[in-house]
Amino acid sequence: MDLIWDGLRRAFELVVGLDATLLEILGRSATVSLTATAIAMAIGIPAGTALGLLRFPGRRLVAVVVYTGMAVPTVAVGLVVALLLWRSGPLGDLELIYTPGGMVIAQVLIALPLITGITMAAMQALPAELADQLRALGANRRQLVIQLWLEARLPLLAAVMAGFGHAISEVGAATIVGGNIHGQTQVLTTAIVEDVGRGRFGPAIAYAVVLVALAFAINAVLTSVQQRSAAWTQA
Amino acid sequence: MDAGVTVRALRARRGGRDVLRIDRLDVAAGERLGVLGPNGAGKTTLLRLIAGLDQPHAGEVRVGGVESRDRGVERRRRVGYVAERPALMTMSIRANVELPLRYRGADRRTRRSAAERALERLGIAHLAERPAHAVSRGEAQRTSLARALVCEPPLLLLDEPAAALDADARKAFLADLDAALAGRTTTVVHVSHRPADLLGFADRIAVLAGGALRQVSPPDELTRRPADALVARLVGFENVVPIAIGDRGAIELAGRATGTSARDLGSPGHGSGGGARLAAWAAGIELLPPGARPLEATVTGVSPGPGRWDVVLDAGATIRAHHPLAAGPPAPGERVALGLRPGLATIVPPGPEEDSPGPA
Repeated sequence: MDLIWDGLRRAFELVVGLDATLLEILGRSATVSLTATAIAMAIGIPAGTALGLLRFPGRRLVAVVVYTGMAVPTVAVGLVVALLLWRSGPLGDLELIYTPGGMVIAQVLIALPLITGITMAAMQALPAELADQLRALGANRRQLVIQLWLEARLPLLAAVMAGFGHAISEVGAATIVGGNIHGQTQVLTTAIVEDVGRGRFGPAIAYAVVLVALAFAINAVLTSVQQRSAAWTQA
Repeated sequence: MDAGVTVRALRARRGGRDVLRIDRLDVAAGERLGVLGPNGAGKTTLLRLIAGLDQPHAGEVRVGGVESRDRGVERRRRVGYVAERPALMTMSIRANVELPLRYRGADRRTRRSAAERALERLGIAHLAERPAHAVSRGEAQRTSLARALVCEPPLLLLDEPAAALDADARKAFLADLDAALAGRTTTVVHVSHRPADLLGFADRIAVLAGGALRQVSPPDELTRRPADALVARLVGFENVVPIAIGDRGAIELAGRATGTSARDLGSPGHGSGGGARLAAWAAGIELLPPGARPLEATVTGVSPGPGRWDVVLDAGATIRAHHPLAAGPPAPGERVALGLRPGLATIVPPGPEEDSPGPA
């Protein structure tokens, strides 16, 4: 019990004291995961929309690949990205291995299947007559897609939340691609693993509390937007 | 802007078979055309082709001279389209009505004023700020109509807009539709499977069955002179029964003389022989004392109808008649003579493929 109480006390001190290392790791975690989520959104929402609305040869195969991607372990993603970015690898010249940029790439690949897959399902769940009605109202292709996104905003926000949650909470890819280098690529999850391994439970608990708080804060904002929309559509 | 519709050699295919085959159909600018047909007749297919939402397998549809194969958005922006289900977006009623103007780049003030005018025309201005999901079906369909009319389209396409409404709501909606179009030169194509929706609305009615046009006529001609038995049924004739026409045009029903000739019904062109059908409105069957006419029948059912008695009779074939409410109901089992009121009954051919599901 002392171990836990001591850990909690130390965590409290670090959080309340706005420990510089804690803030630095928090900032990097938020930056890497939010950047990765934003990139995954920019790719995944249009891709999921195309998969949900268009009919083209190989669409089903792509859908299976996307759904499979949702279940791929993050360490496997990290391994693939590390092999590509390794100095002697095909993208070694980019010098992204053990950098936050490399970690962003890995987290994009982790979040992308979730955002794409949920977007695809959301677009397919829209009433079939909606797109035709919008075309009949004179919407061009861009106006049509934007309106369909607005109609599917609840599941699309869920897709973003799932993508961000998956990105910020993963540890395997961050360790393999980032290397957990202090001051450079260490993020909350890799810091927790390292401190627990060394028996330093205080910082580990502090990082875990901050990680949960960060995830909570961002999801609270997204949920607030989502539920405001839900109230408008269902009240 | 000319918004006449020209259809030539039109073919639409689905599942490897023709679902629509129209060689020629013209709708003049400013005309109201009703399209009547049963479910699966090809009505919505025709409307979608006119709207530019689908492309024909062959042939062409022109709206104001612009061909339907022009898939550009400008082609669709000449048309207002009201579907059977209103498909309102999850936004306010006002925002829904403003959508077509938003898509056309209208500024906020223009959108507002045009939407308000359209909502007032349909009597739903008080719903402007209400979420779309919080209105009744009738109100949602009025919103859909206001949305289609807000840009003052030269051509309005109505796809069974009242089909999902109950009887009272349907009547009210159709009255509002008529009022909203009053004084305008909008060309309208209104499809429905209910003749009552179209008879008082359209300048002409095209009857579509099995993907093919069976008749295109003004409503009064359609109700007096249906082209064949299938058209007669679709228009709503309660009685469409096989008859034989004997010498001098004498009409026989189930082998019994009716005492009426084809000439009496204004159908002298039908010579002797079989295969003809008597198409008679129930209001055109007169119940008379036995012996007053050669054709007699037994009353098999009586029920109160709106302002009348609905009577079912066995005259060798089942006959339905309307009997004046004031005359009192005939008793089941009672024998009566049947008379045919000229103008409310006619002789029609059975139709070349009366029971065919669709064109080959």
